[in-house]
Amino acid sequence: MLTLIHQETFKLMHKKSTYFVSLFLAGMIILFGVLAKLYPNSFDPKSMFNINFTGIEWITFLMIAASASIVAMEFQYGTVKELLYRKYNRGQVLVSKWIVTFIYSLYMYVLALVLTLVLKVVLFNHTFELGKLSGSHTVIENLLISMGSQFIGLWLVLSLVLLLATMFKSSTVAVSAGFIGYFAANIAASLMFGLIGKWEWLKWNPLNMLSLSTQVMTPSYREFTKLTVDQLVMGNLGYIVVFLFLGYLIFKKRNV
Amino acid sequence: MANILEVKHLNKSFGRKPVLHDISFTVQKGRIVGLVGPNGAGKSTIMKTVLGLTDFSNGEILVEGQTVTATKHTSLAYVGALIEYPGIYPFMSGLDHLKLFATGDDQNQRIDEVVTELRMTKYIKRKAKSYSLGMKQKLGIALALVNHPNFVVLDEPMNGLDPESNKDLRNIITNLAKKGTTILISSHILSELEKLVNDVLVIDKGRIVSQSSMRNLMNRGKKYLVIKSADDAKAKNLLMAAGYELADGDDVRILETDAQKLMPILKIYVENDIEILDIQHQQSDLETSLLTLLANDQVTE
Ligand SMILES: Nc1ncnc2c1ncn2[C@@H]1O[C@H](COP(=O)(O)OP(=O)(O)OP(=O)(O)O)[C@@H](O)[C@H]1O
Ligand SMILES: [Mg+2]
Repeated sequence: MLTLIHQETFKLMHKKSTYFVSLFLAGMIILFGVLAKLYPNSFDPKSMFNINFTGIEWITFLMIAASASIVAMEFQYGTVKELLYRKYNRGQVLVSKWIVTFIYSLYMYVLALVLTLVLKVVLFNHTFELGKLSGSHTVIENLLISMGSQFIGLWLVLSLVLLLATMFKSSTVAVSAGFIGYFAANIAASLMFGLIGKWEWLKWNPLNMLSLSTQVMTPSYREFTKLTVDQLVMGNLGYIVVFLFLGYLIFKKRNV
Repeated sequence: MANILEVKHLNKSFGRKPVLHDISFTVQKGRIVGLVGPNGAGKSTIMKTVLGLTDFSNGEILVEGQTVTATKHTSLAYVGALIEYPGIYPFMSGLDHLKLFATGDDQNQRIDEVVTELRMTKYIKRKAKSYSLGMKQKLGIALALVNHPNFVVLDEPMNGLDPESNKDLRNIITNLAKKGTTILISSHILSELEKLVNDVLVIDKGRIVSQSSMRNLMNRGKKYLVIKSADDAKAKNLLMAAGYELADGDDVRILETDAQKLMPILKIYVENDIEILDIQHQQSDLETSLLTLLANDQVTE
């Protein structure tokens, strides 16, 4: 299993896009940091800090593309045969891919966090204080809680993308569906809340689970989602497990 | 001798289309076994099921005595394979591919070895997306061989190789077999295969048509005695009159039978004063044997 994880990492590290993605993410975070410094009225520094200077949003897009490609490229390049005829069983091959995707997403979050803190110290040292209470938590605590909840939401999306990439053997389909799903969640939110108001059991639908990060920061959101934060977390994890498991079943049956 | 591969009553369908019908065969350790048959016969499918790449409806596959299915392949630890076309990551160099899949402590040495053997040194550090068809093919072969497997499965490995590389590959395979490696190889280039394999498995429409040693298969084909003379037309008439069976065509080709002697034939030429220019034995090659076999669709012995 370690060999497989090592192989996946090896491939990731040999892709140019991996480096490009890190640079792009860092560039975007720094860009919005500088914008917040120059135009504090349009880009409020503290709000920008709370959303990692847009970093998390970019990570979602980048990770949708990266996770789809980690699975779909094997079908696209015909390398899946090379992977599967060896002594490892299919479950191990797929799980090694999930693990590397997970580590990759974790790395991006850490990168975003570090850059956010560096920007705070370098550009906004006197603008606001990290240790100051804002509500029941300090500013830095709020950032970490928000990132944690977004990380769970990210994985809800990624587990679906991984499932679709396995199902359709194509990253295009998986990436499009991932993006559409992600945007639809934002656009269709009010429609969905209307429906949940009518039929409460609909609150368990996966799109509603994406409300987790908002509700964590804005507890009153519960009126719409009809779920507690704990329930949302459990729901997210539940769907992640289901999507991943479906992907595993499909991968196990796949003829290559 | 022990069998490294046993396939028993293998059946496989794609959807509702049956593709393999009750395939049973064995491969002995250290043999080079050729898998031949027309396009769509099921050669690649057999190899894929052996490697656990596709599932099958019923039957059993044993590699080194252990069952292989699509989900269980611990016994494939010492198997190397190239199926249909090499799977290659365009963003990596050939060397990176070998590093990716090579295992064990002496991997660098084995990588160097296989790269030299296949004469890939010049471009092995270049990104694989810049490789030609044959270069990719050689990389695929190198990947199958780099871990010194006990059992090698090669599906049309000569695809796109130049004559020199073909010869290299032949030498490599023969040397491996001498060291005890078992090889299952499919190819449409029968003239190449003929120089290489010990046993031949003939597949047609998803069924095994014949399983025999190369020698037996060849012997089953017809043998001819070809005599060139100053007056072939006259010789033909005389030979036919004497009861010999001749092949169609202008030249004189006498069907050889077991009891047949050379002297009486020559006598006919001498007595009729026809000058003999050349005498040759013509044995049927794998191609003719195979074509005859497929035409008659003989059932396996
Ligand atoms: N993925 C698939 N889906 C449906 N049918 C398939 C699939 N793969 C192969 N087949 C069918 O299975 C049969 C055997 O195919 P296979 O690739 O094993 O032939 P082959 O002997 O390797 O032929 P070739 O000499 O052309 O490589 C063919 O009739 C083919 O149409
Ligand atoms: Mg084939």
